[in-house]
Amino acid sequence: MSLTRRDFLKIAAVTGGAVAATTPVVKSVLALGKKPVSLPQYVPTTCEMCFWRCGVIAKIVDGRVVKLDGNPIHPNSRGKLCARGHGGIGLLYDPDRLKTPLINTGARGEAKFKKASWDEALGIVAEKMKKIKENYGAESIALLTHGTISTYFIHLLQAYGSPNFAFPSFALCRGARDAAFEITFGEAVGNPERLDLQNSKVIVLIGSHLGENAHNSQCQEFAEAVGKGATLIVLDPRFSTAAGKAKYWLPIKPATDLAILLAWTNVIINEGLYDKDYVLKYTYGFAEVAQAVKEYTPDWAEKETDIPASLIVETAKILGKNKPHILIHPGRHTAWYSDNVQRQRAVAILIAILGAYGRPGGIYLNPKKKLEPVFLSEKDYPDHKPALNKGKYPFAGEEGVTHEIVRATITEQPYPVKAWFTTGINIMKAMPNQIDTMKAIQKLDLLVAVDMMPYESVILADIVFPECTYLERHDDLFVLKERALGVSIRQPVVEPMYDTKPGWWIAKELGKRLGLSEHFPWNNFEDFLKKKAQAWEIDYSELSKKGYIDFPESAKPYILSGEDYKFKTHSGKIELYSKELKEHGFDPVPKYTKHEQPPEGWFRLIYGRSPVHTFSRTTNNPSLWELMEENVAWINAKIAKSIGLKHGDYIVLVNQDGVKSNKVKAKVTERIRPDCIYLVHGFGSTSKLLHKAYLRGADDQQLITRYAIDPIGGTVGMRVNFVKITKEV
Amino acid sequence: MPKYVMVIDVEKCIGCMACVIACKKENNVPEEHFRTRVVEEVRGEFPHLRMELRSELCNHCENAPCIDACPTRASHRAKDGTVQIDRVKCIGCKACILACPYDARYSHPKGFADKCSFCDHRLKEGKKPACVETCLGKSRIFGDIEEPKSEVAELLKKYDSSVRLEFAGTRPRVFYIKKQFAGGL
Amino acid sequence: MTEITITGLNAITHPYLEVWDWRIVIYLFLGGVSAGMLVMCSIANLRIPKHPVEELAQCVRAPLIAFVILAVGALFIIIDLGKPQSLIWGYLTFQPLSLMSWGTWGVPAVLLANALYILAVVPKEDRHRLRLPFLIKLSEKLTSKMRTIAKLNFALGIFLGIYTGVLLSSFAAIPLWNNATLPILFLVSALSSGAAMIVIIAKKYEIKFLFTKIDIWLIVAELIVILLFFYALYTSTAPYKKAIEPFFSLTSEQFIFAMALIAIFLLLPLALRIKLGELKEFEGEFHGEFTKSQILRMNFAAGLVLAGTFILRAAIVYAGQLTKLSPY
Ligand SMILES: Nc1nc2c(c(=O)[nH]1)N[C@H]1C(S)=C(S)[C@@H](COP(=O)(O)OP(=O)(O)OC[C@H]3O[C@@H](n4cnc5c(=O)[nH]c(N)nc54)[C@H](O)[C@@H]3O)O[C@H]1N2
Ligand SMILES: Nc1nc2c(c(=O)[nH]1)N[C@H]1C(S)=C(S)[C@@H](COP(=O)(O)OP(=O)(O)OC[C@H]3O[C@@H](n4cnc5c(=O)[nH]c(N)nc54)[C@H](O)[C@@H]3O)O[C@H]1N2
Ligand code: SF4
Ligand code: SF4
Ligand code: SF4
Ligand code: SF4
Ligand code: SF4
Ligand SMILES: [Mo]
Repeated sequence: MSLTRRDFLKIAAVTGGAVAATTPVVKSVLALGKKPVSLPQYVPTTCEMCFWRCGVIAKIVDGRVVKLDGNPIHPNSRGKLCARGHGGIGLLYDPDRLKTPLINTGARGEAKFKKASWDEALGIVAEKMKKIKENYGAESIALLTHGTISTYFIHLLQAYGSPNFAFPSFALCRGARDAAFEITFGEAVGNPERLDLQNSKVIVLIGSHLGENAHNSQCQEFAEAVGKGATLIVLDPRFSTAAGKAKYWLPIKPATDLAILLAWTNVIINEGLYDKDYVLKYTYGFAEVAQAVKEYTPDWAEKETDIPASLIVETAKILGKNKPHILIHPGRHTAWYSDNVQRQRAVAILIAILGAYGRPGGIYLNPKKKLEPVFLSEKDYPDHKPALNKGKYPFAGEEGVTHEIVRATITEQPYPVKAWFTTGINIMKAMPNQIDTMKAIQKLDLLVAVDMMPYESVILADIVFPECTYLERHDDLFVLKERALGVSIRQPVVEPMYDTKPGWWIAKELGKRLGLSEHFPWNNFEDFLKKKAQAWEIDYSELSKKGYIDFPESAKPYILSGEDYKFKTHSGKIELYSKELKEHGFDPVPKYTKHEQPPEGWFRLIYGRSPVHTFSRTTNNPSLWELMEENVAWINAKIAKSIGLKHGDYIVLVNQDGVKSNKVKAKVTERIRPDCIYLVHGFGSTSKLLHKAYLRGADDQQLITRYAIDPIGGTVGMRVNFVKITKEV
Repeated sequence: MPKYVMVIDVEKCIGCMACVIACKKENNVPEEHFRTRVVEEVRGEFPHLRMELRSELCNHCENAPCIDACPTRASHRAKDGTVQIDRVKCIGCKACILACPYDARYSHPKGFADKCSFCDHRLKEGKKPACVETCLGKSRIFGDIEEPKSEVAELLKKYDSSVRLEFAGTRPRVFYIKKQFAGGL
Repeated sequence: MTEITITGLNAITHPYLEVWDWRIVIYLFLGGVSAGMLVMCSIANLRIPKHPVEELAQCVRAPLIAFVILAVGALFIIIDLGKPQSLIWGYLTFQPLSLMSWGTWGVPAVLLANALYILAVVPKEDRHRLRLPFLIKLSEKLTSKMRTIAKLNFALGIFLGIYTGVLLSSFAAIPLWNNATLPILFLVSALSSGAAMIVIIAKKYEIKFLFTKIDIWLIVAELIVILLFFYALYTSTAPYKKAIEPFFSLTSEQFIFAMALIAIFLLLPLALRIKLGELKEFEGEFHGEFTKSQILRMNFAAGLVLAGTFILRAAIVYAGQLTKLSPY
C-alpha cells in the first residue's frame, strides 16, 4: 500500500499546520523543461529497531527510502522517532547484510560459507530435522528467538512437536519484574510499560536510565514530566543522563538497591505516609510488611548502600507527601543479581502502599477491551514430551528461560537437545557465559540462524537464512495496550533487496518440506492479516493507510475513587504478602540479601544502553555507527589518576576468571563510583563479516562468565562479575 | 517578514540524539559531517555533579560573520531572514566555515559549504524542521517570534534566555532557556 | 573538572581536522614573498634619483620572479577551492567585508600591475626576447613610466603583504588570528622574506648589500613583532590567552607547534648573525666580486629567513584552527 503525503494527511487527519503541498499537476507545469521531479511516497509501517515498536512513516523517493518519521497517530511514536528509529535506513542499506541463504562448509565458527538457493538450504534443514525427530523426538529441536519472527518459528516448532523455545526477554530482561508484578498485582506492567509519567509529581528511577534507554514515548513523557518540574530521584552508581536531570542523584553501591527500597518502606510506614484508604481497600498483608521492614531502618540502609540516612528519610518523605502521583519505575532490564524478583517485589509493594497503581501519575490500568486471539492456523499441535524450557523455576514465564536450553543441551537432561534455531537473537551477545554457550553448540547436530546480519552468533550456524528487514516485509499485527487498545501494522515500504525473504515465508516453506502445510493455510501473509483484521472488526485498508487504529473507548486508565476494583490475584487484592511465594518456599515479604562486593583492586562490571544503539544489532549500522563507533570503559577519575590512566588510553579488562576483553578506550570520569566500571552493552563483535563493528570496543558479555540465578523465576543476575584494568593492549 | 527562531529548553533535552540523525537523513548530510550536534557538559566532582545537555546548530545570526566572509554572496540572508547558502554560487573557499564562531558549517564533499538551513524546504511546506519534529524531549521549539502568540514568543517572554557566545556580537536567533536554576551551570 | 562530550562533530569541534591546510599555507607564503619582493625591488628602483631612463632599473629580474611566485601561489588557493568552476561568481560581485573578495580582485590586480612592471624594467638589450611586437612596443612605452609603476607596485606589495595577514586576522572566531598585530607580523615577515629572496636572486654587489642591510632591520622587527603578537594574546581574555597554548605546550599533539616556535627563534637569529657578519665584511675592505663561499653563505642566510617565515605562517595557520572562541 503506498500513497502520497497528501493522501496520507487527508486520511490521518493530522491537525494544525497548513500544508502547502502543490498538486502533481501544478508541479509538472512549473517544471516544464526541467527534469521531472518524482513525488515522494509515504508508507506507514512499524519500527523494529527495538521492541518498543513505534509507528513509522517511510518516505520513499525513486524506490529508495530516504527518511523515516514517527507516525503522529501512533501512541508509541507520537510523530517522533528515536535515533535508532531514524537509523533504520542504515540497516536497510548496510552493505554487510546477509544476501542469500548460506551453507557452512567448514567447522562451526569458521564462517566458510557457500551461497545456496532457498530450495537447497531449506531442503537440507528439513532433512536434518526429520532425522533428529526420528532419533531423538521433535522436542530435541529448540528455538532461541527474539522479535517478531518468533511468532512464526514458535508456531513451526510446535507444529512439528517441540515446546522448547526461549526468549532473552524473560530471564535476561524483564522477567523478574513481570513475575514480581504478577505475584503482587496479578498482571505484568506491560510492554510498553503502563507508566503515567506525564502526570507524575515524583519519579523514581532505580537504574532505569531513560534518555540512554531511548524507548520513545516513555522518553517523551519523561521529558514532559521533567519540564513540568516533577521531582526526580535517581538511584544509579553512575551519573546517567537521567541522573543529570535529577534533584536527587543517589549514587548507590551496586547490588544494594533492596536495602533502600526496604528502608523507604520502613520510613513511609513508620511516619504514616502511606495511602491508608487504598491500602485498606485494595491490599492484602500490610501488617506483615510493616512487621518485616521494622529492622530495615535508614541507619542500617546507610551502611549497606553508602547513601546517607538523612537523604533516605528526606526522599521517603517526598514520596509520602506526593502520593499517589508517584512513578516508581518498575525497571525493564532487571536481570541484575540473584534476588531480582524480591527486589522487584519491594518496588511493587512500595508502589502499592503509596496508592500509585491505577492512579494518575502512577501506573495506569490495562484497556478494558480485549481482542480475541486469531491463530496462524486452526489445526492443533501434536502431543509432546514435557517442555524443558522453564526448568524448575515455579515463576518462570511463558517466554521460557534461555539458560535452561543451554543447560539441557550440555547435560542432555531431562533429554538431549540436538538442534537449535536462533531467530532474531544474537546468542553470544545476549546470553551470559559464552563458554557454556559454545560448549552447548558443540553438542548440536544442527544449528540454524535466521537473521539479517552476519553477527557473531549467525556465523556459527550450519545454515543461515537471510531475513529481509522490517522495512521490506509484512509481519503479524501488533496489539498495543497503551491507555487505549490499538492495532499497528507492519508492511513493506520497499521490495526486499537481494535474495532475502520475510520470516513468515521462511517458516512456511520449511513447514511445507516437513509436511506441515496445513499449519500454514494462507498463501500470502497479507491474507492472514486481512482475516485477522476482519475478526477484530478493523478495516484493513484503513489500517494499511493509517498504520495504526485504536479503540479510544477502551481507555480506562485509573481506578475510580471508591471503586470495587478486583485485581487478578488469588485474593483479588494486591498481595503485599504473597501466599503463593510462601507455598513455594520463598519469602512472602522481601528480605534483604547481601551480595558479594569487589575486593580491593577489582571493580564490579556494570553495563547499559547508548541512546544511539540497540544491543549488538546496530553496531554495524552505518547511520548509527557514525554517532558511536565503539564503546568506552567508564572509570572513576580518582581511580584512573591513582593508576596513571589517561582519558582515551586503550585498556584491556580482565575478569575474575582470567577472561580478557578486547581493547577499549578509557573514559576517565567523575560520573561513576570508584567501585565499578561501566560499558555500553553490545560492542566488540568478533565477526569479520562486519566491516564496521568488527573488534570495535569491548564486549561486556565476554566478561560475564559468572551469573547468578534467581530461584523464583529463573531470571539471571549478570552484574556479579568483577574486573581488573590492565594497560597492556 | 517572519523572524524564525529556535528556542532550546535545555532542561528538556534528554540526550537521545534523535535530532542529530533526523537532520542528517532529512538533509542528506554526507558521512562524517553534521548540521547539528548535542553537547553534554558535566561539571563538579563525584558525587556533586551537574549536567547540561544542549543541542547546537546554526544560529542564523542577525549579524552573521559568515555572510561577511563570503566573496560570492553564496552565503546570504534569505527573504525569510534565515541565513542560507546558494550552492551554485559557492566556490568552496571555506572562509565562512572559519568565520563562524559556532562551528556550524562544514565543507561538503561536493565542494560547497553547508550548514543548518532551518529546514527551509520544510518550512515552505508548512512543516517544522526535522530536528524539531522528532525531538523526543520537545527541547527544540521553533517558530516565528514576530507572531506574538507563537510558542517561541511566549517562551521568550516568560523565561530568561541566553545565546551562545554573546560576546561575539553575532546576535543569534537560537535561544537557550532554563526554567529553573536547580542543577544549572 | 568539566567533561564535555559532543555527538555530531565538525571540523572545529574536532581538534584533528583543519579547514585550511597546506595549500593555504603555501598561498600565504608565496603571496608574502611576492609582496615583499615587489616592495623591495621598488625601493631599489626608486632609490636612485631621477636619471636617464636606461640606468633606472636596478632590479630587473625581481618583478618577473615575483610574478611567477604570486601566480603559483594563486594556483594553490585555486586548488584549495571546493568548486573552482564557480569562480566566476566571485567576479560578478565585490564584497567589501569579505577578505576573500579582496583577494579575488586584489591578486589579479597585483598580477596585472606586476606584469606592467616586468615590461617597464626590461633593459633595452633584452627587449627582443619579448618576441611579440606589441609587447615590445608596450615595453618601450612603459619604460618611461617606470617610476610611477614602481610606486604602484610598492603600494600593491604593501597591500598584498598586509592582506595575507588581514585575511587571517579578520576571523573573529579564531582567537589566535583575530589580533591586530598579525597583519603587521605578516607584513614584516613578507618584507623580510622578499628582501631575502632578492638577496638570493640578485647578481649585483650593491643590491645584495642593500638588501642584506634592510633584511637585518626586518628580521629584528619580525622577532619583536612575534613577541608582541604572543604578548598581546597573553594579556587578553581567556579564549585568546588559551590560543597561544599550543606554542608553549609539550604534550604530544601540540608538540609540533612548540617546535615550530623554537625553530623560528633559532633560524631567524642565526640568519641575523650571518648577515651582521656580512655587513662588517662588505662595509670594510670589500670591492666588487664575491667569492663562492660568500655567495653560499649569503644565500644560506636568506634561505634561513625564508624557512623561518614559512614555518611561522604554517604554524599560525594550523595552530589557529585548534583555537576557538567557545570552550570546546
Ligand atoms: N551483557 C548483557 N547481556 C544482555 C543485556 C545487557 O545489557 N548486557 N541485555 C539483555 C536484554 S535486556 C535483552 S532484551 C537481550 C537482547 O538480546 P538480543 O535481542 O539477542 O539482542 P541483539 O544483541 O541486538 O541481537 C539481535 C540479533 O537479531 C538480529 N535481528 C534484528 N532484527 C531482526 C529481524 O527483524 N529479523 C531477524 N531475523 N533478525 C533480526 C540482529 O541482526 C542480531 O543478530 O539481551 C540481554 N543480554
Ligand atoms: N537506546 C536503547 N534503548 C533501549 C534499548 C537499547 O538497546 N538501546 N534496549 C531496551 C531494552 S530491551 C531494555 S531491557 C531497556 C534496559 O534499560 P533499563 O532497564 O533502563 O536499564 P538497565 O539495563 O537495567 O540499567 C542500566 C543502568 O543501571 C545502572 N546500574 C548498574 N548496576 C546497578 C545497581 O546495582 N543498582 C542501580 N540502581 N543501578 C545500577 C547502570 O549504571 C545503568 O545506568 O532498555 C531499552 N531501551
Ligand atoms: S523506540 Fe526507537 S528504535 Fe524502538 S521502536 Fe521506537 S523508534 Fe524504533
Ligand atoms: S551560526 Fe555561524 S553559520 Fe550560522 S549564521 Fe551565525 S555565523 Fe553564520
Ligand atoms: S565557502 Fe562558499 S559560502 Fe563559504 S565563503 Fe566561500 S563561497 Fe561563500
Ligand atoms: S533545522 Fe533542519 S537543518 Fe537545521 S539542525 Fe534542524 S534538522 Fe538540521
Ligand atoms: S532530540 Fe531533543 S531531546 Fe533528543 S537530544 Fe536532540 S534536542 Fe535533546
Ligand atoms: Mo530487554
